[in-house]
Amino acid sequence: MSWKRWLFGRRELTLALACVAVAVFFQFLSPYFLTADNLITILRNSVELLLVSLGITFVLATAGIDIAVGGALGICAIFVGWSVQGGWPLVVVVLIGPLVGTGLGLVSAFLIVQGKIPPIIATLGLFGVYRAAIFLLLGGSWISGLPDTLGPAVNTIIAGIPLTAIYILFFYFIGWVVIRWVPLGIAIRAIGGNERAARLSGVSIGRTKFFVYGFTGLLVGCAAFLYVARYRNVETSTGGLIALDAIVASVLGGTSVLGGKANLLGAMFGVLLVRVLQNGFVLIGVPSLWEQVITGGLLIGVLILDALAERSHAQGRPRNRGNAPQWLATP
Amino acid sequence: MRRKNRWSACLSTGLILFTAGIGLAQTKPKVAFVPQIVGIPYFNAMEEGGKDAAEKFGVQFVYTGPTDTNPAEQLRIVNGLIDQGVAAVSLSVLDASSIDPVMKKAKEKGVKIFTSDSDAPKSDREVYVAQALDQDLGYTIIDELAKRIGEQGTIGIVSGEATATNLNTWIGFMQQRVKEKYPKITLLPPQFAGGTAQRAFQLATDLMTAHPDLKGLIAVASTTCPGVAQAIESAGKIGKVVGTGYGSPNTVRTYLKSGAFGFSVLWNPRDLGYLTVWAGKQLIDGKPFAESNSVPGLDQPVKYDSATKVLLLGPPTVFTKENVDQYKF
Repeated sequence: MSWKRWLFGRRELTLALACVAVAVFFQFLSPYFLTADNLITILRNSVELLLVSLGITFVLATAGIDIAVGGALGICAIFVGWSVQGGWPLVVVVLIGPLVGTGLGLVSAFLIVQGKIPPIIATLGLFGVYRAAIFLLLGGSWISGLPDTLGPAVNTIIAGIPLTAIYILFFYFIGWVVIRWVPLGIAIRAIGGNERAARLSGVSIGRTKFFVYGFTGLLVGCAAFLYVARYRNVETSTGGLIALDAIVASVLGGTSVLGGKANLLGAMFGVLLVRVLQNGFVLIGVPSLWEQVITGGLLIGVLILDALAERSHAQGRPRNRGNAPQWLATP
Repeated sequence: MRRKNRWSACLSTGLILFTAGIGLAQTKPKVAFVPQIVGIPYFNAMEEGGKDAAEKFGVQFVYTGPTDTNPAEQLRIVNGLIDQGVAAVSLSVLDASSIDPVMKKAKEKGVKIFTSDSDAPKSDREVYVAQALDQDLGYTIIDELAKRIGEQGTIGIVSGEATATNLNTWIGFMQQRVKEKYPKITLLPPQFAGGTAQRAFQLATDLMTAHPDLKGLIAVASTTCPGVAQAIESAGKIGKVVGTGYGSPNTVRTYLKSGAFGFSVLWNPRDLGYLTVWAGKQLIDGKPFAESNSVPGLDQPVKYDSATKVLLLGPPTVFTKENVDQYKF
């Protein structure tokens, strides 16, 4: 294996190196970039997006998509906000976000599996419904000035490691186990590779999809909990277009929108790269608008490089016909 | 047979009365207001004022707008209102550069179109209902902030949408004031957070990291106030960084009390909504504005500048920890 394959064949490694390169660049221009405080800030600002991107990576692996996550995050945040405001028992406060999130995820799955609606249409519709529901639930006034009861859940640092980092590692570990070591993970990638072939080889399509969207909902609910804990505020725009950011991060991380591939570590570094860029631009005094240009350009650049690499890679060996991944096509 | 006739006579009389009723209801002219975004406390207060005025001056008030700060969506809504046959339509402009076609369409259809809250000064609007002079707003926030930081130091700005005319104009006057009056203050270039508290929080935190000696942070859009205040609290910079912004008392109350915000500058949006509907009624009736107008229901007389066609609500109010509890919007 040549060094080029080794370096560029593993997306997570390429992205990690990109993060380091960008970090060196910013440190060169601003002495405040590589400080413990700032790095923790970047991590904390990434938490919600990291969770949602993990879910989106799963969804993309089944060749699906979930646009509704932003709206679902907003709705979960409202419930968490109410529970904090009303001084409900701590168990309820912690569980209500993930529960509502899982429920909303299952609604998406129901429309996609039972309703046979393409995921992009089903979740686009739901996104609109959720956005409207947010306005109705809040009645036009924000939940703001919440007490700091949940502060410790996001601000605690144990032995130099922020608690939020531990949540992230925990969920990504679970995700990794599922996708690598459990039959369910093979089912997920098989569906994304070729749904008909997967069905014929005995994969339960419905059950797998219910898991994928439900799991994404659960992660969205957790993200909503952390959002409220951190900002102590639920505004009507909560969640916003986080779905798009998550798709960008996943695809940067080497997960294909065509399905069949999932790169969790890549998604993680994808999020971090986006957040490092956002943070660094402010630190070196560049208007934040430019960061969107860079992320957009980066995404397109990476996909072009991918296509080129694929082409040179494919020369000299039989083409993988159709969309089916190699490991599925050869029994 | 005869009985049947009687029933149908009753029915038709009822129908006629019913249509006449609708007809009567419809003679009340409609005045519409399109905010930059629905569902935020600021525009809700304007809606409330508009409703009160509509009742008082005998018009029907229509309030509808985009669910995110999207200029194209706003223009689509204005277009729809013109097609529905409202008598007057006002809007808080999101993007002044794309508004001319819809202004032209309104004129062609005989609909009075005017701006309120955020202006398109170069357009063909009938009047601009201004909350306070943009210059006063920009200057006041800088003057009050300078007082609190000892007239020297670095100040950061976190704004909302980069296309919002009103926000950009205020930032312009802030920069002008600093340049003219406070040589020892450095005003950083504005950062744009769009509509979310999360991004405002992120930008405010990053600005404090980039400038450890930062003295003040200005949240220009009301949507950015909670994020900026929260960032100051989380960074433990209360007392070191003075937060401020154009936030309504309900939005910033907790932050004024925690000390994250030193003060907030705004006008009463309820009164602004009230004045907007009154202005719409005047336009429909074809009554010209006088240099000073007394509007029933408003305490202060309202000034009108015929050169720029601006109707001015009054000077801005400064809200502090001490007086914020007097206001309920």
